[in-house]
Amino acid sequence: MARTKGYPEALDKKLREQRFFREDSNPEFTKNVKAISRTIAHMCYQCGTCTGSCPSAPRSSYRIRKFMRRAVLGLENEALTDPDLWLCTTCYSCSDRCPRDIIPTDVIMSMRNLAFKRDIVPVNFLKTVTAIYASGHGVPNNDVNRAAREKLGLTRDPPTTHMYPEYMPGIRKIIDHYKLKAEADRIIKEREG
Amino acid sequence: MAEKKATTKKAPSKKEDTKKVAPVKQEVKKAAAPAAKPKAAPAAAPAKAAPAGSTTKPGEARIGVFICHCGTNIAGSMDIPAVEEYAKTLPNVAYVDNYKYMCSMPGQAVISKAVKDNHLTGVVVSACSPRLHEPTFRTATKEAGLNPFRFEMANIREQNSWVHMHDREGSTDKAKDAIRIAVAKAALLQDLFPKTVPVEKAAMVVGAGVAGMQAALDLAAAGIKTYLVEADTSIGGRMSQLDKTFPTLDCSQCILTPKMVDVGRASMIELMTWSEVHEVEGYIGNFDVTVRKKARGVITPKEAEARGIVGGGCNGCGDCETACPVVKPNEFEVGMKPRKAIYINHPQVVPLLYTIDFNSCVKCGICVTACGPEKRAIDLESKDEFVKVKVGTVILATGYDIVPIEKKEEWGYKRFENVITSLEFERLICASGPTGGHLIRPSDGETPKRVAFVLCAGSRDNTGTGKPYCSRFCCMYSLKHAHQIIEKIPGCIPYIFYMDIRSFGKMYEEFYYRIQDEGAKFIRGRVANIIEDKKTKNLHVMTDDTLLDRPIDMEVDMVVLAAAVQPKEDTNRTRKLFGVSCSSDGWLLEAHPKLNPCGTTTAGVFLAGVCQGPKDIPDTVASAEGAASAASIPIHMGEVELEPYFATCIEEKCAGCGMCVNLCPYSALALVEKNGRTVMEVTEAKCKGCGTCGGFCPGGAIWMNHFTTPQIVAQIDAFLLGGEQ
Ligand SMILES: Cc1cc2nc3c(=O)[nH]c(=O)nc-3n(C[C@H](O)[C@H](O)[C@H](O)COP(=O)(O)OP(=O)(O)OC[C@H]3O[C@@H](n4cnc5c(N)ncnc54)[C@H](O)[C@@H]3O)c2cc1C
Ligand code: SF4
Ligand code: SF4
Ligand code: SF4
Ligand code: SF4
Repeated sequence: MARTKGYPEALDKKLREQRFFREDSNPEFTKNVKAISRTIAHMCYQCGTCTGSCPSAPRSSYRIRKFMRRAVLGLENEALTDPDLWLCTTCYSCSDRCPRDIIPTDVIMSMRNLAFKRDIVPVNFLKTVTAIYASGHGVPNNDVNRAAREKLGLTRDPPTTHMYPEYMPGIRKIIDHYKLKAEADRIIKEREG
Repeated sequence: MAEKKATTKKAPSKKEDTKKVAPVKQEVKKAAAPAAKPKAAPAAAPAKAAPAGSTTKPGEARIGVFICHCGTNIAGSMDIPAVEEYAKTLPNVAYVDNYKYMCSMPGQAVISKAVKDNHLTGVVVSACSPRLHEPTFRTATKEAGLNPFRFEMANIREQNSWVHMHDREGSTDKAKDAIRIAVAKAALLQDLFPKTVPVEKAAMVVGAGVAGMQAALDLAAAGIKTYLVEADTSIGGRMSQLDKTFPTLDCSQCILTPKMVDVGRASMIELMTWSEVHEVEGYIGNFDVTVRKKARGVITPKEAEARGIVGGGCNGCGDCETACPVVKPNEFEVGMKPRKAIYINHPQVVPLLYTIDFNSCVKCGICVTACGPEKRAIDLESKDEFVKVKVGTVILATGYDIVPIEKKEEWGYKRFENVITSLEFERLICASGPTGGHLIRPSDGETPKRVAFVLCAGSRDNTGTGKPYCSRFCCMYSLKHAHQIIEKIPGCIPYIFYMDIRSFGKMYEEFYYRIQDEGAKFIRGRVANIIEDKKTKNLHVMTDDTLLDRPIDMEVDMVVLAAAVQPKEDTNRTRKLFGVSCSSDGWLLEAHPKLNPCGTTTAGVFLAGVCQGPKDIPDTVASAEGAASAASIPIHMGEVELEPYFATCIEEKCAGCGMCVNLCPYSALALVEKNGRTVMEVTEAKCKGCGTCGGFCPGGAIWMNHFTTPQIVAQIDAFLLGGEQ
């Protein structure tokens, strides 16, 4: 692996052994994904309906079908370390149409879950956790929104934790129960110092 | 175990109770062998004479138990020696053996030898399901010199080793139970003698698509009078709607019309179009079928003659159609062409006879005038007629419909004008179709230059809005459609969106090669959705080119959905009339998927063509010829054997309440006067031995042969109370 031929880095990477070996696949990964996602992730027949439905696919390198393939074959490392894992918008279009009646969205969610256990998670997702912990919202209200709401004849704040902050302790309790905030703080600190 | 033994002792007294109800089958027996009924039951003396000793006292029964390994199918999942040892401890068991394949010739020889050497009175084979090998082992039992009904099967494969593959102990125990139960019944089995009934030398074929036509032609050629019942106004089915046929590309009508004409001409075929099966009574050899001839409003020259109108009747001139003021969409053209209230499907119809669609006819009488006083072919007051025919065997060939593909909303059928189905494509590309063979966009009549084909549209789909199976001919006809476009529209590119191309038949893969060579573009991706450009009415086909790993947005002029197929509407009603089942996917159920694909579980009823499952024309014709051959066998034999499982009335116990008469699903029972009493009587040939009456009779007056109360009680006792010695 470490052998290089002194080519430019990109070419060097290309020339590396690319084959898929049996050892690459971990059957436990398929099982875990199925258990967490509660969908028949091993039944994908690679038709492409999901990627064809996906609003993220034409705008990014994210390919839901590829993650489904990795779920079938148990390609744990490849799936969990691919940064594309975090590009699903969770719109559920793929899940609406998958002819095998799989819920690819939930497969992605289960992989994110497993990745998080290995501290593989983009910092912006962790900042969302912090934001929810602080305000109950991933994207808290701001003055531009408040003005827009007022114009539409709505209350400045929506009837959520913004309007009823007394519910915040409950939300924090849930987040704390799963140690989500603590883990997020830890990882952010490690990454950003 | 100890407990079981203790309770077993109670069993005999219980058995005695039930044994009292058993009727003595006939006089000789009463004297020679009171047999299973020590306290001598009343004599009911059913028809068949049985030789002395045709029943056995449980004490005298000598049962042989034969345990099959089925290779490792059974032996791999349970402890055969333990099962064998256990069987030896059972009451009445005189011999136990095991063999690798009991159904093989040497295996059957083991049974034969053991019966003779050990003077066995009954045989238990514990192996697969009776559906598979009961006939085999009955024959073996017979060849060993016993009555074939002295055989009982214990299923330790389908209901045991296959489902408890990973539970060796559990499956061994379950096998012991199964054998104990079978032995208990075997000890009480009686000699039975199948009845033979004559077979009517006539057959019926329901549905006159290519399958039904072929079957009827074969039957007729074999000298059998055949009634061909077709629900539509003309014969030919789906094949008559097709333009060309893969892989040879011969014109569908050109190869079908001669057959249609032959059907119309064959003197042995009585064609009944615009008709459906209304009621069925009887059984193999003797089906009484009532056919409803729907009110047609038009009479044939023959019918005219019968009414005394000389030289009258419909000659197909079509003057009525020209005159008729009511316009409706023509279903044959998938609604793309108009027809009148009085119509024919297409110019080559067989029979050439007009039909009035009374749902839309306004009874203005204009057609009557147009037809004129000579022919007087139109009768606006015609009513449904019911015709009763007797046939020996029946073939169902009811074919298919395409699914309502608009339910898959993402493809926009019926929302977007330029999304059509493959059947509409067939009509549009066909020279005799609504556009004279010019493929046009429904939105603007323009010739399309880019056409997308969506394969597996609604097939191989587990969501519930589609069908889980492969529709089997859509890959191939879409290849054909691609060819037709390339041939007819220079410069037009067909894009075939597919998951797999299933080109499995003779010369099919070669056809695929040819179409790719001709310029069709194959894109491996199932279509995710279709979006219409509101201005141009062009369509954006969205999918994933799974081989490039890139999402696709392909703008095309027209989309053809290769829609899944499903059983023809009304199949369910028709099949129930004949007592035929369907599989979970709705297609009619064959007797055995591999070894008896044309037969059904109803004796004398056979299946041909797509009604049994999707088939292209070559397979449809092959299955039709198979069904015709199978259906002609009983007719040529002249008589058939019926299973002797019929119910028998124990007249002494019958109170004549008549409740059973109404319960019997096969109308086999009636109340009669006998010796001044009203009692029930069974028409044995009609009785299917279903047991509905026997289970119901409050007085226990009904004796179900081969499933007698003592036999069943003995089985239950054996299960609940054990029975080991
Ligand atoms: C678009 C398309 C293109 C195709 N192209 C090809 C091709 O190129 N080559 C090829 O080999 N195959 C092709 N096929 C398949 C072909 O159509 C079938 O194999 C064939 O038609 C099956 O014939 P069938 O007689 O079993 O059924 P059908 O053709 O459906 O005939 C059934 C008949 O039974 C009648 N019927 C139904 N129910 C009843 C009832 N209860 N009572 C009385 N009558 C009843 C119907 O009215 C009909 O006339 C194509 C199919 C489609 C959809
Ligand atoms: S739509 Fe379903 S079956 Fe098709 S590739 Fe995606 S996950 Fe697999
Ligand atoms: S849920 Fe995610 S993967 Fe599925 S279509 Fe939406 S963005 Fe794509
Ligand atoms: S019904 Fe009369 S007018 Fe109509 S086609 Fe027949 S013969 Fe001609
Ligand atoms: S025949 Fe081809 S198009 Fe039709 S369902 Fe099967 S795979 Fe799909």
